[in-house]
Amino acid sequence: RHSALVTSFQRDPGWKLFGKIPPREGAIKDPTRIQKEYETKSGRAGPGNPTSPRQGVRKNLDFEPLSTTALILEDRPANLPAKPAEEALKHRQQYEEMVAQAKKRELKEAQKRKKQLEDRCKLEESIGTAAQIWNQEILPNWSALCTSRRVRDLWWQGLPPSVRGKVWSLAVGNELNITHELYSICLARAKEKWSSTSAHSLETEPEDPGSSDRESSLELIKLDISRTFPHLCIFQQGGPYHDVLHSILGAYTCYRPDVGYVQGMSFIAAVLILNLDTADAFIAFANLLNKPCQMAFFRVDHSLMLTYFAAFEVFFEENLPKLFAHFQKNNLTPDIYLIDWIFTLYSKSLPLDLACRVWDVFCRDNEEFLFRTGLGLLRLYQDVLTTMDFIHMAQFLTRLPENLPAEQLFQHIAAVHMTSRNRKWAQVLQALQKDPERGSPVLKR
Amino acid sequence: MAYAYLFKYIIIGDTGVGKSCLLLQFTDKRFQPVHDLTIGVEFGARMITIDGKQIKLQIWDTAGQESFRSITRSYYRGAAGALLVYDITRRDTFNHLTTWLEDARQHSNSNMVIMLIGNKSDLESRREVKKEEGEAFAREHGLIFMETSAKTASNVEEAFINTAKEIYEKIQEGVFDINNEANGIKIGPQHPTTNSTLSGSQGGQHAGGGCC
Repeated sequence: RHSALVTSFQRDPGWKLFGKIPPREGAIKDPTRIQKEYETKSGRAGPGNPTSPRQGVRKNLDFEPLSTTALILEDRPANLPAKPAEEALKHRQQYEEMVAQAKKRELKEAQKRKKQLEDRCKLEESIGTAAQIWNQEILPNWSALCTSRRVRDLWWQGLPPSVRGKVWSLAVGNELNITHELYSICLARAKEKWSSTSAHSLETEPEDPGSSDRESSLELIKLDISRTFPHLCIFQQGGPYHDVLHSILGAYTCYRPDVGYVQGMSFIAAVLILNLDTADAFIAFANLLNKPCQMAFFRVDHSLMLTYFAAFEVFFEENLPKLFAHFQKNNLTPDIYLIDWIFTLYSKSLPLDLACRVWDVFCRDNEEFLFRTGLGLLRLYQDVLTTMDFIHMAQFLTRLPENLPAEQLFQHIAAVHMTSRNRKWAQVLQALQKDPERGSPVLKR
Repeated sequence: MAYAYLFKYIIIGDTGVGKSCLLLQFTDKRFQPVHDLTIGVEFGARMITIDGKQIKLQIWDTAGQESFRSITRSYYRGAAGALLVYDITRRDTFNHLTTWLEDARQHSNSNMVIMLIGNKSDLESRREVKKEEGEAFAREHGLIFMETSAKTASNVEEAFINTAKEIYEKIQEGVFDINNEANGIKIGPQHPTTNSTLSGSQGGQHAGGGCC
C-alpha cells in the first residue's frame, strides 16, 4: 500500500475539476489558445465536462409543443348513446381550452429554458472574457496591478475558475518560503511515519492503550479524509484525490508538528487541491494556515478566538441591531455558527462554487472578509431568523439552505459596513486584544 | 407545538464514533454511511412523550477531536442529559472514556444524567470492546449503559428516551430544580393538551421541521 501511495502521488491524478490549471503549464497563456480552450469547453463539451448547458438544452430549442399532440378528443364508444349536441359542444370547447392552455404553458416553459440557456451562455462568455483579462493583462503585471481599483472590482465579481488557483497562490503568497523540495521532504517524513505506524499496529495488540497522539493524529487524518466532501466522491478511498489529500495533510503534520492535524484542515486542503497542483496546494495551505486568524483557530487559542468573536459582535450589533438583540435574548452566541464557518472557510457550509467565491475575496481582503461574509449571511436571512427560537436558529445557521442565492448573498455582504465608530476591523480587533475583559462572555468559563 | 418540558442533551465522545449518525437516526430516522465531519457543534430536536407528557429534546452534537475540547466544554452548561459515546470496534475510543467523564462531571451540573453508549453494535465481527466491559464501566461510574447501532437503529430510540425517563424521574423526585434553567430543563410555555396526537415514542419530528 505504501508503494501505491508513492506512485499515485508521482503521477498526480489526471482529471481536473473546476478548471484546474494543468500541471507544469506556464502562468501566461497564449490568447488564441485560451480562445480555443474556451470554445472547446463551451461548445463541444468533452467527457470531462458533461454538464455543459449548451449540449443538453439545444435539442429542445426549436419549440414544439409535445403533450398537446397526445390530447385527443374522442367520441363516445359506438355501443353507448351519442352525446347530446349541446354537451358535445361544451366538451369540445373544454377540450380546446385545455389544449390552448397546455400550449401556452409549454411555450412559456420553452421560453424559460431559452432564457436560462442564454443566461448561461452569457455567463460563460463573461467568464471567458474575464479569464482573458486575468491571463493577458493582470497576471503578467501582478505586483503593479493587484491593488488597483479595476482589478479589485474584477476580483470582487469572482475569479474565473481557470485562473483561480494562480490568483489564490499569488494573493496568499509564500512568506514561509516553502519550496517544492521542502514539501517532498515533509511528505517523505510523513510516509516514513505511516509505514512505521502500520508496522507497529500489526505487531501490537489492539488493546494497547498507549498509542501516542501523533499516531492517533495520523489515524484521524485517515478517518476524516473519507468525511471530507463525501458527496463529491473524489477524496474517498479509491477516489482520484484521496492520496493527494492524505499527502498534504500528512506533510503538514511533519512541517508543523506543534500544530498537527486539526479537524477542518481537510476541507481547506481539499479546496486548494481542486484548484492547484499538489506542491503548490501545500505551499498555499501552509501559508494560509499561518495567517493570524487561522493560526488562532487551528491552535485553538481560546482567548484569541474569543477576541475574534467579540470583534464580530461589535460589527454585528452595528449592522443588524434588531437581529443582534434577538440573538442575545435567545442566548445564541457567535461561536455556535462561526466556529464551523471560520475553521473551514465556509467550504463546508456553503455550496462549493459559492465558497470559492468567498475564498476569492478572502484572498483579497484577508480575515476581515470571513467575518463580513458571516454578517452578510445573517443579513440575508435576517427576516426568517427573527421569527425563530434558539434551536431553530442554531439548526438553520449550522446547516444553511442548499439553494442559497449567490448573487443576493454578495449583495448583502457588500451592504455590510465594516466600520464601527470610525474604526476598521483591524482596529476594533486590536483594541479588544488589549482589553480582554471586553471580550464575548461566551466560552469564558 | 406545546411541550411540558424541554431537556437539553449533549452528545460527547471521540471523533468518528457515530455521534452525528445517532442524532440523525433519532431525529430523521435515517442513516448516512458517510456523514460529514462535525466542526464545533450541530443541533437536533425532537419531541417525545413520557408519562403522557410532551417533552422536547434539544440536542447538542459536539465535535469529538481532542483539540476542540476546550470549546465544547462550555456546551455542557445547562445540559440535563449527556450521551457519552464510544465505538465498540475501536478500543481507543473506550479507553478515552475516563477523560470524557472527568470533563463532563467537571463542567456540568452534578445532576446531569449520563448515558454510556457503545455504538456500531452491527459490526460484531470487528468488535474490540466486549459488552460486559461497557456494562462494568457504567456500573463503576454510575451511568446507564446501552449498545446501539445508528445504522440499524437498534436501541437508538431507547438510548435517547431512557435518558429522558431518568431525568423525568429525577424531576418527580425533586432532585432537579426545574425553575433553574442551569439544570438544562425548561418548563414549556403552556401545558400540553391531554388528547395529544402524538403517542409513545412515535412523536418523531424532522430536525428542521416546524415542531413547536
